[in-house]
Amino acid sequence: MSETRTTEPAPSPPPDPGAERLSVTGVSKRYGAVRAIRNADMTVRAGSVHALVGENGAGKSTLIKILSGAATADTGRITFEGRPVNISSTADAIALGIATVYQEPQLFPDLTVAENVFTGREITRRGRVDWAAQNARVVELLELIGLPARYATVPVSELSIAEQQQVSIAKALVGNAKVLILDEPSAILTDAEIEVLFGVVRRLASTGVAIIYISHRLDELFVIADEVTVMRDGQTLGTWPIEELSVRRVVELMVGGILEDTPPEHTVPDAPPRLVLEGLSCEGEYSDVDVAVRPGEIVTLYGLIGSGAAEIAETVYGMRRATSGRILLDGKPIAPHSPRAAKRLGIALLPANRKLQGLFSFQSIAFNISAGHLPMLSKLGTWMDRRRERQVARDFIARLSVKTPHERQPVSAMSGGNAQKVVLARQLVERPKVLVLAEPTQGVDVGAKEEIHRIVRSLAEEGTAVLIVTSDLPEAIRISDRLQVVRAGTTTVEFGPGASQADVLAAAAGAVDQEEAA
Amino acid sequence: MSSSTLTPPGGAPAGQQAHTAKERGRVLPFPITGQEIVLIVVIVALWVALALATPAFLTEGSIVPLFVAMAPVALIGIGMTVIIITGGIDVSVAGIVMVCAVVVAKAMVDSGASLPVAVALSVVIGGLLGLVNGVLIAYGRVHAIIITFGTANLFKFLGLQLFGGTTVDNIPGTLAFFGRGEAGRTLGVPHSFLVMLLIAAAAWYYLRHTPGGRHLYAIGGDADAARLAGVKVQRRVMSAYVLTGLLTGLAACFVIARGTSTLAPNVGAGMELAAIAAVVIGGTSIMGGRGSVLGTVLGALLVQTVTSGVTQLGWRSQLSSLFIGIFILIAVGADLLRQRARRTT
Repeated sequence: MSETRTTEPAPSPPPDPGAERLSVTGVSKRYGAVRAIRNADMTVRAGSVHALVGENGAGKSTLIKILSGAATADTGRITFEGRPVNISSTADAIALGIATVYQEPQLFPDLTVAENVFTGREITRRGRVDWAAQNARVVELLELIGLPARYATVPVSELSIAEQQQVSIAKALVGNAKVLILDEPSAILTDAEIEVLFGVVRRLASTGVAIIYISHRLDELFVIADEVTVMRDGQTLGTWPIEELSVRRVVELMVGGILEDTPPEHTVPDAPPRLVLEGLSCEGEYSDVDVAVRPGEIVTLYGLIGSGAAEIAETVYGMRRATSGRILLDGKPIAPHSPRAAKRLGIALLPANRKLQGLFSFQSIAFNISAGHLPMLSKLGTWMDRRRERQVARDFIARLSVKTPHERQPVSAMSGGNAQKVVLARQLVERPKVLVLAEPTQGVDVGAKEEIHRIVRSLAEEGTAVLIVTSDLPEAIRISDRLQVVRAGTTTVEFGPGASQADVLAAAAGAVDQEEAA
Repeated sequence: MSSSTLTPPGGAPAGQQAHTAKERGRVLPFPITGQEIVLIVVIVALWVALALATPAFLTEGSIVPLFVAMAPVALIGIGMTVIIITGGIDVSVAGIVMVCAVVVAKAMVDSGASLPVAVALSVVIGGLLGLVNGVLIAYGRVHAIIITFGTANLFKFLGLQLFGGTTVDNIPGTLAFFGRGEAGRTLGVPHSFLVMLLIAAAAWYYLRHTPGGRHLYAIGGDADAARLAGVKVQRRVMSAYVLTGLLTGLAACFVIARGTSTLAPNVGAGMELAAIAAVVIGGTSIMGGRGSVLGTVLGALLVQTVTSGVTQLGWRSQLSSLFIGIFILIAVGADLLRQRARRTT
């Protein structure tokens, strides 16, 4: 931003580091009968990275929406640089210098990166868009966020999801934001990309931007945050300097209780394996994979992104064909050629990306749970048994502690963790012989994570053979009866319960830059 | 830094003037798409083939009516392009043509309305009907196809009421300026075609180079994201339908001008489909977010070439439906392939 030809007024030096930039007091918002937030208080300072944490449904999203103008508060006060302000539209927020990067990239696929960055705030000359000026500015921004300058004129549809996320940040920065809200920016990024992100965040903070950082990866907070505000059940519990907190303390504040650390003892019944992968290979993806899962056992394939672990899961579920090797189910070789075929064999899948796969977001919870199990819930295979559908849904809502007023609520109105539980519920309607979970708790908060683990464990106890593919190491260690490391497309070392993170990581190799977990 | 730090629209700081033309370079995708080039090639090939097959094709008596016939379709198509770019559609334009045409025809017959009055009247009525569509679609949040399907029937009812079960006869030649006769041409080029080209050029510039135009693409790409970026989505969407109404009003004058002195209640029938066909053949994605006016004008030209060609060759006229149908399917197929290719990369 120091270049002379910058198109923006030079950012003022942080006038008074730590000065109050944005403050909310007593803010409340209700949606119908649901009180999304009540009496929320938060003060964000210039040049500070302020983390906002809480379980899904705790009210973080609503608070962010209020600050970014996507929703308006029912009561309460917002002050910006000491002045009371009224944010009634996204345009108001942008005009104040409050920029938001949403979790899902909010981009236009057919427009170029430069156009995306400037949509809604085009630089114009005599009524026409000044492409040259926009491009020059975008090139600076691309450098700042670590993308090649030539991307300026590339349509966004040609970039990867991670690159799109970075473009979203560039988009937020173009207005010389004074407050930058990052809503789970790291959820879809790899470790290397997260490092780049942190670099950008630090640089921005050092120029005096106040940053509100939302994340479910709590260990990140200790790398990047200066202060932490914790929300629970729609209320802000308070704000602490990061030095006064630990991951454990944050989790306790979020869930409102003391965390149970030791996973319940779980013995696997001695039985012949239910699912066996024998020398399974898929050209270009993985090779010579050997895995055996007994009924009631939870086996985890731990591998970093690109290790081939995800592709192995897809093969079991019939989304990908193996080129050699065998899959045995109860001793019989199977070759599911489609998810439908896999399901008929009794194999259920919890897909990795719940936003893209597996959910009908505008349909009700009941619909989503029963989709795929229509024969079971219909009479004589024809008309739907609506009463039974609702009953099953209610049953699952209770069993999974999904937070929702009723089973007719559309999934689109639910938080991420709750949506994930609905996907899980759907697969559990017909107690599957084998359950395959891919990244089951990605982007899910700690509380929901615990619940999902609990559900998976209780399913295993009922005799399901569970195969989990994850790149979340603590999760892999916590939940598995056995853990197999996938590296460079093949299964390598195996660990029992209680393995140390260091050992597993060493086996997975390539995880050299693992941040010191607090 | 106490005031807004947003880049002021319209006023780029002085530092930008330093950019040389060279630096400016190509900052948008190439101004002409592959599909448009293919269209030009196909049209040229058809014209060459037709010229060889029937010597009468490349004569004034054949080309002028072709241009006059395509002008109203292309004009409506320009508005339709803008609408489809936002992810909408308007199937009520035939109804708008009908209402505008009958009102204007009656005004000329009964009150001897002059050319400017007739055109102004038609454009204003078209704009008002477009406003009805726009308000319902932008603020009613129901999909455009349902709304305009409803209003299409209302407009048709309105038009039939105005016709009163009979034709409008003895229409004076007030609109001959837009007709295919000598009065409708300058240097041999039909005025209606020229006006259409001018409007197409303006629309092309607007869509490609102004913030408002780019916002239309943004809305078609992701309306929620556009709203969050501060785009006035509802107002933009509404204005697309108003624009189409205005252009359809003008097109109604062209339709009267190219016809006889009698206006029958079937006026405008099928024009919504002809306009949508031109837009789709022109490469505008029916999913929204991508498209161009140039493609639409070429699409309209191709459709009219096929229709005229079939007539001139003395083939059965239903063959033109066959050819146009094939062109539409090819265009939609190309769009689908593009979307799929994008998803897999």
